[in-house]
Amino acid sequence: MGDIAQIYEEARRAGIDLELLDSNLALPVKERWRLHDEAVNLAEALRGGLISHNAKSHPTAGTAR
Amino acid sequence: MQNLTRLLERLAEAGVDFVIVGGFAAVTHGSSYLTRDVDICAVLTPQNVARLRQALADWNPRHRMTPQKLSFLDYPAGDQPLKNLYLETDAGVVDILSSVLGVGDFERLKSTADQVEVDGRTYAVMSLRDLVQAKEALGREKDLLTAKELRAIAAKRGERL
Repeated sequence: MGDIAQIYEEARRAGIDLELLDSNLALPVKERWRLHDEAVNLAEALRGGLISHNAKSHPTAGTAR
Repeated sequence: MQNLTRLLERLAEAGVDFVIVGGFAAVTHGSSYLTRDVDICAVLTPQNVARLRQALADWNPRHRMTPQKLSFLDYPAGDQPLKNLYLETDAGVVDILSSVLGVGDFERLKSTADQVEVDGRTYAVMSLRDLVQAKEALGREKDLLTAKELRAIAAKRGERL
């Protein structure tokens, strides 16, 4: 029992969200895979949007006047 | 758009014999970390390579570590022995490894892999114990963090590692 408490404590101290793990573990594997792919694609879309936004807001030195 | 799930389905449909390893194995076990590629362990026999080519043919598979991004469909030709393949495709990045640091080769991984069923297909997934061992052997900060998360998952599942 002490081992488990220590494992949880180390995870918490490392910033791991144990409640999120409970949510993940409650899902079937197919759903874990689907949510993961969705999250990666969302992150990519946001990254692309940010790059595009930054390019418009902060033109490079060569093109700025 | 990335679709690692579809990538794995394709490989299974083509009859490639593989074990899911790395970050996507961690996701399968319940990890909340994201990964941008799928790593599998497989023996790169000429038959397995032919199956990989068949599976990935219409997703423009290319060798991501080569400057010219050589097509996997053309290179390497013949029965050239291969150890690892690092590919990018239109569905995402897939790395095919002959062994995993700190654990062992395909046969070793397969012998202890978990069998997971998704949509009627059975996938071999690196066991939690092996995954923790591999992450700790890598020793990078992000891998050690994942190892801590995987240990917590094992504890929640009542498994002792």
